[in-house]
Amino acid sequence: MRARTVPFYFLLILGAIPLFFQSSYFLHMFILIFFYISLSVAWNILSLSGKVSLGHAAFFGLGAYTSTILNVKHGIIPWVGVFAGLAVALVGAVVLMIPLLRLRGPMFSLASIAFGEVLIRIAVVWRDMTAGSEGMTIPFKPGWLTMGFQNNIPYYYLFLILAAASVYLARRIYHSALGHHLRAVAADEEAAQALGVNTSRAQIIALLWSAGFTGVLGVFYAQFVYIIDPDFAFSSMLFSVQPALNGIIGGMGTIWGPVLGSVLMTPLGEYLRSYLGHLQQGLSFFIYGMALIAVVMIMPGGIVSVLTPYFRRKVPASKDISERKAVS
Amino acid sequence: MDGIFIQVIVSGLLLGGVYALLSVGLNLIFGVVRVINFAHGDLMMVGMYITFFLYSYLRIDPYLASILFVAPALFLIGLVVQRLLIRPLQSTSALMLIFATFGFSIALQNLALMAFKADYRTILVPLSTATFNLAGISISVPRLVAFSFALILLIALYLLLRFTLLGKALRAVAENRVVTQLMGVRVQRLNLLAFGLGSAITGIAGALILPFSYVFPSIGGTYTLVAFVVVVLGGLGNMAGAFLGGLAIGLVESLSGTYIAPALKEAIYFVIFIIMLLVRPQGLFGLGKGTEEVGLK
Repeated sequence: MRARTVPFYFLLILGAIPLFFQSSYFLHMFILIFFYISLSVAWNILSLSGKVSLGHAAFFGLGAYTSTILNVKHGIIPWVGVFAGLAVALVGAVVLMIPLLRLRGPMFSLASIAFGEVLIRIAVVWRDMTAGSEGMTIPFKPGWLTMGFQNNIPYYYLFLILAAASVYLARRIYHSALGHHLRAVAADEEAAQALGVNTSRAQIIALLWSAGFTGVLGVFYAQFVYIIDPDFAFSSMLFSVQPALNGIIGGMGTIWGPVLGSVLMTPLGEYLRSYLGHLQQGLSFFIYGMALIAVVMIMPGGIVSVLTPYFRRKVPASKDISERKAVS
Repeated sequence: MDGIFIQVIVSGLLLGGVYALLSVGLNLIFGVVRVINFAHGDLMMVGMYITFFLYSYLRIDPYLASILFVAPALFLIGLVVQRLLIRPLQSTSALMLIFATFGFSIALQNLALMAFKADYRTILVPLSTATFNLAGISISVPRLVAFSFALILLIALYLLLRFTLLGKALRAVAENRVVTQLMGVRVQRLNLLAFGLGSAITGIAGALILPFSYVFPSIGGTYTLVAFVVVVLGGLGNMAGAFLGGLAIGLVESLSGTYIAPALKEAIYFVIFIIMLLVRPQGLFGLGKGTEEVGLK
């Protein structure tokens, strides 16, 4: 029982932080960490099946643009925009990515990059809808109903809730029948099919969860930054590559891997960006790239794979060695 | 048919020659080493920057530089990548190899960003803006030179692969790695050679395209996709297919840039890429061997 309550204490501590520390920079860092935790965890839901998407920025951008267009052009509040963004991201997933699911390995990843790129171009050209590369600015209306806040504290709680919700969702999926099916697909798709797993159905459901959550995050993040343009909203570096790298560095296909990856890599990147700034543009992603190579070379299962043995619950000693092996 | 249409076709075909070179480099690496190189376009970016600096500071002609400097430099980079990055991971899964080359791509792109900033750069050689008239169609000289250069290199590579012992060994590895190894061929050396050679060809493609194009740190991502579009169109591992695929993508880029919208030209060949993967993953001209492991059944 004790292990189950740990996350609640942890959440309680995180929830108390803004009561004591109100520095805007400090809270901003936490908001980004929470944001990347949820983005990476959402990305990872599809990765349970071994499919490495490098095009999730497409869903993110669809969510962000949907709510922003509704807000700017029709004055619809972002809380409604969340559902619209979710719906459009899901439609995007159905139209764009479901056909790709039958590709395997590198070809799936490449094709996913390609359609992220296609959406940027479309957003640039479709000026009537998206205002082209000039981008759109969300009018600032303070209040919970319009999701406009004067300081970072409400955003802090908003993204904390999103991060917690994403981890909760990932845990539920991981331990459900769907989670087992997905991991079976990752291990060996043919064998899983032979055992009667409907592998395409499992992957489609995982994709919809993953894309939908990413689209919702797009809506909230647009409300946080207030200005979106095609290069930002569909940024492959920020919203496709970074969550993927966080997930892989932390441990792809695990619950806590993407969380750990985001907690470690986000502050590092932000620190480098703010202190070195334009002087060393690119340094933070250079480090990301090298970190990815290092992880692949040294601990292919990600950081989590190295830590897991220390956190595993002790297995009661049994006399028979083979039985003990089977349990652990 | 009006003159502009023919002109667009010619200019697309000439560009396609460079794309063919880029894609043959990718195919060579894939065929022999069996790795999908996500950093392929970034190797081309490196070749472009080397050409840029050699011309801007030392006034070395880009076509001369491509053979004398770019090719050896990229060959060395290829050797290092194969030896230090790919070889230690070759016995692991395809996924690990994607991650490694993808990490390398990101590192390389951002290294370039740190070193050269995000500026778009190009070189204006005396030839850059030159054109000549052929039966009423004006042909851009740098494109023609690039195409001829690419064609000569492709023929040389074909002769190497077809008629030398080395070429035979490379083709043997591409066909069956294990049996080739059993015949006493040093497969690891050939892997090194293929990666080096593939990178060198790609670097040359970068040098050739620079006089009528431009370079910036993240351009590699686009060229990686271009190379894969071409290769998927022509059939992964199929050298002749890569050549025809290169010409086809050059044409598509040129036609869509002129008749649809310049901003959409990339979008259009990415759409072709996705459709090809879904409808005819073996390419228009069939696959080379051993492609099932990368997701093309």
